[in-house]
Amino acid sequence: MAGVQLIKVKGLPMKKLLLFLFGIVFLNAREFIGKVPLVESAKEVHFTGSHLNSPELLHNILHYQDWGELFVYLQVHWFRLLFSAVTVAVLVIFLLHYLVIGPKVFSHDGRKFYIFSLFQRAIHWIAALSFIIIVPTGFMMIYGKYLGGGDLVLNARYLHDIGAVIFLVSVIPMFLMWLIPMLPTIDDIKWLFIAGGYLTKKKIEVPAGKFNAGQKLWFWLATLGGFVMIISGAVMYFQDFDITLLKSLNLDQIDIDRIAAIVHNFLGVAIAALFITHLYMSVFAIKGSLDSMKSGYKSEDELKHLHSSFYKKLIGKK
Amino acid sequence: MARMKFYCDEGRCIECNGCTVACEEAHELPVGISRRKVVTVNEGIEGQEFSVSVACMHCTDAPCEQVCPVDCFYIRADGIVLHDKEKCIGCGYCLYACPFGAPQFPRDGAFGTRGVMDKCTMCAGGPEPTNSPKERELYGQNRIAEGKVPMCAAVCSTNALIVGDEVEVANIYRKRVMSRGKGVIGVPYGWSTAYKG
Repeated sequence: MAGVQLIKVKGLPMKKLLLFLFGIVFLNAREFIGKVPLVESAKEVHFTGSHLNSPELLHNILHYQDWGELFVYLQVHWFRLLFSAVTVAVLVIFLLHYLVIGPKVFSHDGRKFYIFSLFQRAIHWIAALSFIIIVPTGFMMIYGKYLGGGDLVLNARYLHDIGAVIFLVSVIPMFLMWLIPMLPTIDDIKWLFIAGGYLTKKKIEVPAGKFNAGQKLWFWLATLGGFVMIISGAVMYFQDFDITLLKSLNLDQIDIDRIAAIVHNFLGVAIAALFITHLYMSVFAIKGSLDSMKSGYKSEDELKHLHSSFYKKLIGKK
Repeated sequence: MARMKFYCDEGRCIECNGCTVACEEAHELPVGISRRKVVTVNEGIEGQEFSVSVACMHCTDAPCEQVCPVDCFYIRADGIVLHDKEKCIGCGYCLYACPFGAPQFPRDGAFGTRGVMDKCTMCAGGPEPTNSPKERELYGQNRIAEGKVPMCAAVCSTNALIVGDEVEVANIYRKRVMSRGKGVIGVPYGWSTAYKG
């Protein structure tokens, strides 16, 4: 009423004042509607916003023994033990190999062949960077209690996630660019029979194409296994999500998380073991083999001995 | 020594969510985090619908404590399961191990990443000095230290949610079942999962 009287007195700014008053009333009403949650809609958010916080919860309690107990059993008794045993075993085997059989040295003087394009090397080193981040931070989490937990291990977990994103960038091109030469051949069986020639000090012509059976095993584990690691890791990262495809598995959200953790840890053991193997082979066991991933060129001596089938094909072509 | 246990009477719970709200307010929890949740099952089915309030049950041999990779949990002499937020790395294993879905993870890290775990403390704070500002900030009120009943049970309008020493809670449970004149005296809801052996 006071507003109306004011308009009568002033006359000219009536329109403006009216608009102003309307604006206040209108905007306030809009704000009011937006801010006060209605009872029903609030209830809906409460039940559908989270799949861990819903009527499923009671169902989860009753079905705890399906996956919950298995996860606890594996986590308490097996995962850390398995990681320790496999890691120590791999390191001891390679230390013994280095001391008893020793590294192989091939001549890098003669002819060189261009094997890895710049693109392939770039993808390889992006993947390598991600592994250098992911594997140690993974170990930090597994042995977190010996590091005292807290910010150090928490940041390791964050780095683990960042490493996964870097890996995600490289895994698909890597899978596609090496898919054909990584397909199994008859050479792989011969390679396995002589354990890749690593058990002898002699330089023998190892049956292998562009990649040997060991490299192939690592490739498939790192790409396909790595993809499973990304999926299972993402499940654990997002934890509470709504994906219709996963719902069709007829599993509760929490059980999907539990299965992801189990798969991630078991596969993690295998990937960590082969990652250490790959490091040892490229840096220590075959001296100078790292050069081909730096420059793209592989020496004739190395090719002839370690990738004999591939070398014969190369020579035949020229 | 008392052994503290929660008991929610599904025959009395009226799904008022008072416990959830009181807990959130008392401990000034971040938005989206509810240490206690009221769940209704068989909604709309006559004679079968019931509600129950669920939070950390403070289990014996708590599976969360067993699976934690950084050993941030500790169990008090009175059975209350607490954790050290400054050790926790927010990995989520405790949630996977928990039968009751109690652990929750506010997304408060950089870029909305999952932060450290938050769960019901039975209003008993954490490892910080009792009633220190730090304890209050990280874990909420320490009502147990003040001799008060945990917030959720204190506000429960129908006395559905009770908390206390196991012997006394079990006595109340038994009396209630007998006075109803139906049902079997077994163990309260969730106890067979939480308090094995």
